Amino acid sequence: MAYDAPTDWSGTIGRVQIGATGSEGGTRKVSYRIGGNGGLPFVEPNDGLTRPLIAYELCDDPAFWSPLVTERLGATAADLACWTRAAEMDFGADLVRLYLTSTRARGFDDFDGIGTAVRTVLESTDLPLIVEGPNEPAIESEAFRRIGEAGEGERLLLGTAEAARYRSVAAAALAYHHAVIAQSPIDVNLAKQLNILLREIGVPHEQIVIDPYTGALGYGFEYSYSAMERIRYAALKGDGDLAMPMISSAIDSLTIKEVRDAPPGEEHRTAVAWEVTTGLSAAVSGAAIVCVRHPDSVAPLRAALEATWGSA
Amino acid sequence: MALKALDIYKLLPKKNCKECGSPTCLTFAMKLASGKADIELCPYLDENAKAVLGASTRPPIRLVKVGVGERSFRVGDEFVFYRHEKTFYHQPAILFRISDTWDEATIAGVVHEVRDFKLTRVGQDLLLNGVAVANDSGDPAAFGRAVAVVEANADLPEVLIADDPAALEAGLAHCGTFRPLLDGATEANAEAVCALAKKHGAPLVVRAPDFEPLVALVQRCTALGVADLVLDLDAPTPAEFVERSSAVRQLAIARAVPELGYPVYYDCSKAGELATAALSVGILKFGSVLVTGPLSHPETVAALTLRQNIYTDPQKPIQMTPGLYRIGNPGPEAPMLMTVNFSLTFFTLQGYLESTRIPCYMLIVDTEGQSVLTAVAAGKLSETVVAEAIKKFEVESAVEHRKLIIPGYASPLSGAIEDATKWTVMVGPRDAADIGAFLETEWKG
Ligand code: B12
Ligand code: SF4
Repeated sequence: MAYDAPTDWSGTIGRVQIGATGSEGGTRKVSYRIGGNGGLPFVEPNDGLTRPLIAYELCDDPAFWSPLVTERLGATAADLACWTRAAEMDFGADLVRLYLTSTRARGFDDFDGIGTAVRTVLESTDLPLIVEGPNEPAIESEAFRRIGEAGEGERLLLGTAEAARYRSVAAAALAYHHAVIAQSPIDVNLAKQLNILLREIGVPHEQIVIDPYTGALGYGFEYSYSAMERIRYAALKGDGDLAMPMISSAIDSLTIKEVRDAPPGEEHRTAVAWEVTTGLSAAVSGAAIVCVRHPDSVAPLRAALEATWGSA
Repeated sequence: MALKALDIYKLLPKKNCKECGSPTCLTFAMKLASGKADIELCPYLDENAKAVLGASTRPPIRLVKVGVGERSFRVGDEFVFYRHEKTFYHQPAILFRISDTWDEATIAGVVHEVRDFKLTRVGQDLLLNGVAVANDSGDPAAFGRAVAVVEANADLPEVLIADDPAALEAGLAHCGTFRPLLDGATEANAEAVCALAKKHGAPLVVRAPDFEPLVALVQRCTALGVADLVLDLDAPTPAEFVERSSAVRQLAIARAVPELGYPVYYDCSKAGELATAALSVGILKFGSVLVTGPLSHPETVAALTLRQNIYTDPQKPIQMTPGLYRIGNPGPEAPMLMTVNFSLTFFTLQGYLESTRIPCYMLIVDTEGQSVLTAVAAGKLSETVVAEAIKKFEVESAVEHRKLIIPGYASPLSGAIEDATKWTVMVGPRDAADIGAFLETEWKG
């Protein structure tokens, strides 16, 4: 192109490693270094060279999952190893994100179980892994320790740190050298504050991925889109405390009204249209990892991201 | 560079003839200075004045109107690169592409779909905007016939897609007075196509594979007297579209290259199987006229919702006026449900309440447009707000009972609301979808 766009960016997004190959001390087939951008997608030369990654989300207790997904998958969803293999082999994800929903059961105390779940997933796929721990303060310290330990050497991405509770997950990340997801509700200043809190307890920037909270399309996405642009923009202007790559997961997508009340026979296609549209849009606003839950969403989202970024 | 009103005034004819719609040349100059008028409104400007003023006075991105009547749309007139800096004003038009190789029934089917599709979300009617007829046959007569079928079936804005001026002319014979957008002018056909655009007063797409030839072509078309232009950046992939349209937006709002200060056109159907991805990218990244092959119902709903999201001001949530609203004809014993004045919340709850067929009241309190959870977290929903609303909207004279149903997510406030209002608070379900069952069992039971 003959004209250069007028930008005044000096900052760069830091890189965060996710997953570790054999030579890096883990057992993954690939490891990713997300981030490194010097602009908004496609606005600066040299940006948009690496395609955003797709994480497929699954869980260890499907009772807490969208029936749309569990019905579609049938027996596969009941067997964590099968489900994980399908995520890599059949759906074509770049990463797997395991939600330890079993910890949401009342009176949860099966800490061995969650260690087993993490190991099962690691053994069933060669892909790098994101693990979502509990959000129950009473169990989180022990739970995150077990998760961290089960994934030792694999450079997991652990979630989720929030302003009100970040110590247990951060401690596990530091002890076992994992990265951490830092989530704040749709606000550039809150994202920054949390990153500072994490920095102060010793989590280096290279181990933080920002989750600015993604509202589903039609249910807050209008805010999330701009929050992501603002975070990226602030970082490019030189704010080091926001210069981390972002992850986006519009987890409400499968429960919103449009999907629930879709005309008969269109529920799945509506869910997919919602996840793909949101995922692509989040990527365009700067997310390095976008997450989906419906198995049919991965392929079209991948095609869309490849068309926009080229293949990874 | 923006000019001051006095500098502009010096260049005007000073006839004070009012033909521009302003009472004097000076008021016209002041309007130009603030970007509120277009120099073409003055018929007496000399070439020098046009050249100097043209670039610096009009809005950084020209407002272009396509079609006539109720369904006509306007695009352009944008001022920012990031929507958080202000907002985006003119949402992109989405048009379904029709081929002149299709039979009449197929064409009419798509036209009806575009005409009749309506998605009501958050109290707004979201519509498709028109049809783009493409001269795939290469035959002007076939093209004319296809345009005639469209015209016979709906009053929708149209894009006429043809390289051959003869085909455009055949199409214009059927819709020439309705401001169709002509797609378009290229280096090869500019003279002939500009003559058609000028004759019919139609807006025109200009297409070139790179910025320099595009700028040259824009200059040629404006010199030929066509002012309403739309730019086709001829991007071979969605990636290149984002790159080019981002640069065009930045250069246009900085007024760095005035020839790029026009709305952007994107024929997403050229992306083939990836048309829906191209459409999303077009909506997100400064596309103004988007042509796509007919979409499935779920894809249409997702695309229109994305467009609504991106063209909603993130600083001003769409709000309802607080007050007492009725579902059906509620009597003095009817349920009284309280919620916030975020329009998404209102319409979601209203939809579910209507489907219960139980007449009831909705008490909408002022949370400055925040959702239930957000308002609770931010302290905008409180017992004081609820007590004030009960008083202000004379809720106690609407019903004889004193039982208020509050949203499940507002449960932390239930005790405080009881104390402040002396009403009995019933904590409703968290999810409005469960309200029917709740009213059946908890209210009636
Ligand atoms: C978009 C959004 C925003 C937008 C605002 C949108 C708006 N206009 O309200 C912005 C970005 C501005 C925002 C800001 C904040 N947000 Co916010 N936001 C969201 C998000 C993603 C979606 C909200 C939404 O649109 N929901 C859809 C509407 C329709 O839901 P609703 O109003 O609750 O209505 C439903 C039910 O309540 C029920 N219902 C409604 N009325 C009634 C009535 C009756 C009688 C019944 C029975 C049922 C019922 O029916 C509806 C459908 O089921 C949510 C996450 C989420 N999933 O909810 C976070 C969320 C609500 N936000 C959160 C927070 C913390 C904030 C902030 C306080 C952050 C901060 N510290 O600044 C700020 C507050 C703003 C301020 N400082 O003034 C948290 C709340 C945490 C908590 N549980 O307390 C959430 C849950 C995100 C999170 N997980 O961290 N937010
Ligand atoms: S039309 Fe031209 S000459 Fe007449 S009043 Fe307006 S600016 Fe002055």
